[in-house]
Amino acid sequence: MLPQSPFQRRLAPLVLALLATTIGLPAIADEWSGHAMEHFEKRIRPLLVEKCIECHGPEKQKGGLRLDIREGWETGGDNGPALVPGDLDRSRIIQAVRYDDPDFQMPPKTKLSKDAIADLEEWVALGAPDPRSGELARKRPSGMSVEEGRSFWSFRPIANPDPPVVDNTDETLTEIDRFIQAKQHERGLTQNPPAAPADLARRAYFTLIGLPPTPEQVDAFAADRRPDAFERLVDELLQSPHFGERWGRHWLDVARFAESSGGGRTLLFKDAWRYRDYVIEQFNADTPFDQFVREQIAGDLLDTDSPSQRSQQLVATAFLALGPTNYEQQDKQLLRYDVIDEQIDTLGKAFLGMTLSCARCHDHKFDPVPTADYYALAGIFKSTRTLFNYTDNVARWVDTPLPLEGDAAETVAAAEAQRNQLKPRLDRLEAERRVRTQDIVSPPKPGLPKLDRHFPGLVLDDMKAEAYGEWKFSQFSQNYLNEGYLHDGNERKGYKSLTFETQIPLSGQYEVRIAYSELANRSTRTPVTVGHAGGELKILVDQQKPPSQYGRFHSLGQFRFEAGSTPFVQVTNENTDGYVVVDGIQWLLVEEDPSSAPSNPDERLKQLSAAIKKQEKALAPVNKILKARPLAMTVKEDPKPSDSAIRIRGVESRKGDIVPRGFLQVATFDGVPEIPDHASGRVELADWIVHPDNPLTTRVLANRIWTWLFGSGIVSSVDNLGTTGDAPSHPELLDYLAQRIQKNNWSLKTLIREIMLTRAWQASAAPNPEAQAIDADNRLLASFPKRRLDAEQLRDAILAASGALDTTYLGPNIVGAGEINANSTAAQNVEYNYIFEDTRRSVYTPAFRVNRHELFELFDFANANFTFGRRATSTVALQALYLLNNPFVIEQSEIAAKALLAHDLDTNGQIEHAFKTTLGRSPTPNERQLVGQFLEDGQNESALTGWSSVFQSLFGSVDFRYLN
Amino acid sequence: MPPNPDVSAISRRDALRHMACGFGYMAAAGIASGTANPLQSRVPHVAPKAKRVIFLFMAGGVSQVDSFDYKPLLHKNDGRMLDFTDQRILAKTGMGSNQRVMKSLWDFKQRGQNGAWVSELFPHMAKHTDDYCIIRSMHTEGVAHGPATLFLHTGSTNFIRPSMGAWINYGLGTENQDMPGFISLSPALGNGGPRNYGNAFLPAAYQGTAVGRAGMKAADIGIKNLENTLQSPEQRRRQFDLLQAMNQEQCQNLPQNTELEAVLGSYELAWRMQANAPEVLDISNESAATKALYGIDEEPTDNYGRQCLMARRMAEAGVRFIQVNYSDNSNNPAWDQHNDMPEHKEHALAVDKPVAGLLTDLKQRGLLEDTLVWWGGEFGRTPYAQKNGTGRDHNPTGFTVWLAGGGVKPGLVYGATDEFGQYAIENKVHMHDLHATILHLLGMDHERLTFRHEGRDFRLTDVHGSVVHDIIA
Repeated sequence: MLPQSPFQRRLAPLVLALLATTIGLPAIADEWSGHAMEHFEKRIRPLLVEKCIECHGPEKQKGGLRLDIREGWETGGDNGPALVPGDLDRSRIIQAVRYDDPDFQMPPKTKLSKDAIADLEEWVALGAPDPRSGELARKRPSGMSVEEGRSFWSFRPIANPDPPVVDNTDETLTEIDRFIQAKQHERGLTQNPPAAPADLARRAYFTLIGLPPTPEQVDAFAADRRPDAFERLVDELLQSPHFGERWGRHWLDVARFAESSGGGRTLLFKDAWRYRDYVIEQFNADTPFDQFVREQIAGDLLDTDSPSQRSQQLVATAFLALGPTNYEQQDKQLLRYDVIDEQIDTLGKAFLGMTLSCARCHDHKFDPVPTADYYALAGIFKSTRTLFNYTDNVARWVDTPLPLEGDAAETVAAAEAQRNQLKPRLDRLEAERRVRTQDIVSPPKPGLPKLDRHFPGLVLDDMKAEAYGEWKFSQFSQNYLNEGYLHDGNERKGYKSLTFETQIPLSGQYEVRIAYSELANRSTRTPVTVGHAGGELKILVDQQKPPSQYGRFHSLGQFRFEAGSTPFVQVTNENTDGYVVVDGIQWLLVEEDPSSAPSNPDERLKQLSAAIKKQEKALAPVNKILKARPLAMTVKEDPKPSDSAIRIRGVESRKGDIVPRGFLQVATFDGVPEIPDHASGRVELADWIVHPDNPLTTRVLANRIWTWLFGSGIVSSVDNLGTTGDAPSHPELLDYLAQRIQKNNWSLKTLIREIMLTRAWQASAAPNPEAQAIDADNRLLASFPKRRLDAEQLRDAILAASGALDTTYLGPNIVGAGEINANSTAAQNVEYNYIFEDTRRSVYTPAFRVNRHELFELFDFANANFTFGRRATSTVALQALYLLNNPFVIEQSEIAAKALLAHDLDTNGQIEHAFKTTLGRSPTPNERQLVGQFLEDGQNESALTGWSSVFQSLFGSVDFRYLN
Repeated sequence: MPPNPDVSAISRRDALRHMACGFGYMAAAGIASGTANPLQSRVPHVAPKAKRVIFLFMAGGVSQVDSFDYKPLLHKNDGRMLDFTDQRILAKTGMGSNQRVMKSLWDFKQRGQNGAWVSELFPHMAKHTDDYCIIRSMHTEGVAHGPATLFLHTGSTNFIRPSMGAWINYGLGTENQDMPGFISLSPALGNGGPRNYGNAFLPAAYQGTAVGRAGMKAADIGIKNLENTLQSPEQRRRQFDLLQAMNQEQCQNLPQNTELEAVLGSYELAWRMQANAPEVLDISNESAATKALYGIDEEPTDNYGRQCLMARRMAEAGVRFIQVNYSDNSNNPAWDQHNDMPEHKEHALAVDKPVAGLLTDLKQRGLLEDTLVWWGGEFGRTPYAQKNGTGRDHNPTGFTVWLAGGGVKPGLVYGATDEFGQYAIENKVHMHDLHATILHLLGMDHERLTFRHEGRDFRLTDVHGSVVHDIIA
């Protein structure tokens, strides 16, 4: 076992602070000398007025700082006092004006003159005399304290209200209707009568399965006289596999589902379809929603009964991974926190109806969410791996191979076993070939970097070392291996080390060398410890002298190593007198043990090459099998879970206090799960979200379901139930529904059914003049809200009406995605050049973030960049142009016309059929007359042309685009 | 192209007048959602100096030290290894590094009455130094193209925010209800793609309309779905009348339904756009002299020249924000010369004459007075060679843009970078400041142009930005 670090000592706390406190601060200005005051009045006051006060004065306090009164800089801004009298180095104002830190420069536009900076320095050195005094307005308190928050409606425990008694003796009135009608009666309104059967059927079909009823289905429902006909229809539709395709899509809006990353360099999420299919299947299976939540947040950590369940749960975690990540962001720590922020934002809106990301930079201005709560959650996601690493130029997500079953599992298991056998053998052979290859590499030309593999023996670059303490990366000398080298910054002597480890393939005598670049500022006694078969030896290296080998490597001596051993070389900066510089380590075989040495080295090399080739050949098919394993976008646990520090003003590099991982204080209750040290806390987070006492989750969910059924919610701001969200129109009903979710064991289908069987849902959409006068937004639901078909419904309805709809259930749908490397230009081109041609249901249409299906883009499809619980309904001329001129609409109209003409019908029958296929009803006499006249006027057109026009007009008509 | 259908069919107009939904409202509603017309022209916060913007986007990052920011010290030190703070290495490691100084490949000369230094890279633009204000002290956020391009357009490297053109349409509405208020000509799909002209959380009416896309020939581009080659004009007209007659029938029993009125209104507007918009984009009737001014029908200027001329026509037609992209769909867009600085010349040849032609044309038509022209990229380039090679890397810490017309001081050279041209040091103008200034010129206070979303008032400039009054005439 080699020592991890030789440094067990801890730095004794320095008490420099004492120095500062002895200087003290005068209470009144009179104590200052004439010279000091004069300096302030003549030099400093005008300077502050001219350069600082605009942003740090009575009007504005950027960064929370005021410089127009003494109390301003004493108290300071977000980062504490701006100035420490007498102490230049600890005065942030001096750091800022010196412009040394590129991220912290004031004034921001132009550096002050040298004289002005010197004046400020002198002022601080003089003890910062400042006669200006005034009252500092107390910091604006955040919108709401956690305590106050607990009494806000959405954070209060969910009540169990009794349905009001409505002045109505009708026993068939549902409990939900009693809540609705009670409010209507309060305002003197009357519920609309039930909708016409044809309207109701069309409404139910589109709402539950997103498709129009066929003419036969319309007729069948109209003919069904049984009292429970509608109940039967609802049950039938809830069992349809199309239900999951419609309702899963609702959830995909919330999960900001997409199949590419968008943002800067867009990457193809070629496996995201698995998550989409997972969601569709869960909705069809009516998986309890609490389980659905657990799987999406912590599926990788849950127990499983089978490989297929394991697969499903891994796939579910894509919920956390498929955000609009800008993988190209160069500052990878910032990227890491941006990803965390996106996860918290999505999770907050999706499950809790909270806009948490406001608390990244400051306590939430309106909601009872202090910054500490945000970073408590951030710790959970910081302890979760979403990015593969934090070093790639363009980062990657975490791909996880899915467990398999049956033959496929056996094949992969066999391949894995084979690889585990073959790969180490191949590595050993290659290591042996390396140490046996003694070809001298020509000395590198000055200024040109060379790669480690250009040198003989075993060469490890500095990036492969385990670092202790802070080592700085540099390219200052032009002489280095690979990307650059590391140095100790000539500071914190005795607190830094770099340790290299290698595996020795052959026993024998080796020369060990260190690579560095010499310079006059280097250490003359850099300690390098070489671990070898006989023990350890510490050698001091003079790094001011040029290395002897190719101007890059310096020999540390010759040592014996045993085959199979893993010796180390450790460089420290203990007792060094200049920069310690490390570029790499080389182990070079000098003399092999006679016992194992081949008689003919050249022959052995040839054998080695042949053996390597053979191993590679054997590995190729194995690797192919392993590469073809199904992958899922997932997250995984970070090996070292840890809490997060608060970031002041959200700036990644400005760290504040560390906050233990946890949840929102405002939604704390008895039995909040505790996060173990060794875990990220995602399991506990999911448990907290679906805990019966969490006041938010079921309210948010009940409100979403209501919205998906009625088009608007009991709370209209579906993703925001906080103080800036809208107030609930029926708070008791919302609590009642939230309770129902728990009583129904989190079954969504049960609640959907309950709501659809109300009179409110089945009411006519005809205008209710009384209600329009006093309830213009129709929040009291006196009539059913007339709704526009959304993008998917519109496209699917056109395809269904023309007969061209491909109803293939589940499965990938991006042509050309296959086994493409997602992180490649080719993958981007799949998206950029994509032509949307398939006629599958819209839920399967490739959901790229950049290249969107034109119809989706125009007709208010969800913005896949954030949680989108309620779609907008915009009306723009470009939509009309699409319906008038787009080839898709024209072609589908023609297909529909051809299908119609294939029926043996007279003109009247044709008109009847065309209306039922598209609008789900018979034409009105006027419509019949209009179409008849149109066809008659077009005698010189073919029947196909005429009927194509009729279908296209029907597709564009208000009754096609809206649900009554 | 088939002739456009007759838009003034009297019979339909008569029919509409008697519609239950009420054509009277519809005419005023234009392309409305809900009850008010979101694109109604609005009264600005402060007296506007510009009515519209033409943004000539140089994707990839033009090298300031090879174009407008003359640095003699680069010649003197050419080839020397010096210490620089490279932004990419800084972002990844927090370290400085040693880099090889690289002189400009193009000679600089003083030009115009104001004596501004411009290199040989842009001989045509160089003739106009008295028309525009050169800002040499730009700095921005984002080291890579994606983040920096998004920052330029939306004020955020990573968060989903509305683009500047959407904010401007939200603030000012449109001058021509028959045209979109925000058009991006030939935008790229890469580096943020549609987010660069998207509305994010603003209502969809404010989104930019892409006309063509990067890589398409300018001669082939147009507003989507404006034309219809599959149906005869006669069929289209008859079909349109049938559609609106059916709509009228279907709205019969729905008095005062403003949403449905808006739907019917959108069809009417679409019908008018079919007639009017193609003409705005059609440059065939421009004189030979005008076309020559923009370098149309000659290479390599034809493509960008056509786009610039279309931009002028759009400006005349009252489009509020017109972006003319010089870009492509790659991850190293257009001006991104990491290892081949001489390639800058190719791009300069493609845009120089068209841009200069646009300035001349706007000026001679009196349009430059109230049209703000903005030329520039998402960042600049390093004064040293990248990885000791023959190109320059990205530099967000100091670069040059210019503004012309629209109330900006012509001929002013504003701000400065350090002696090597890497960092803006004097009169620094952050991208947020540029945004604030452009809004100001259009009559909007960037701190008051807000939109409430998820309980927060959002701004283009977030909590930053200040108007650069020094450059305003």
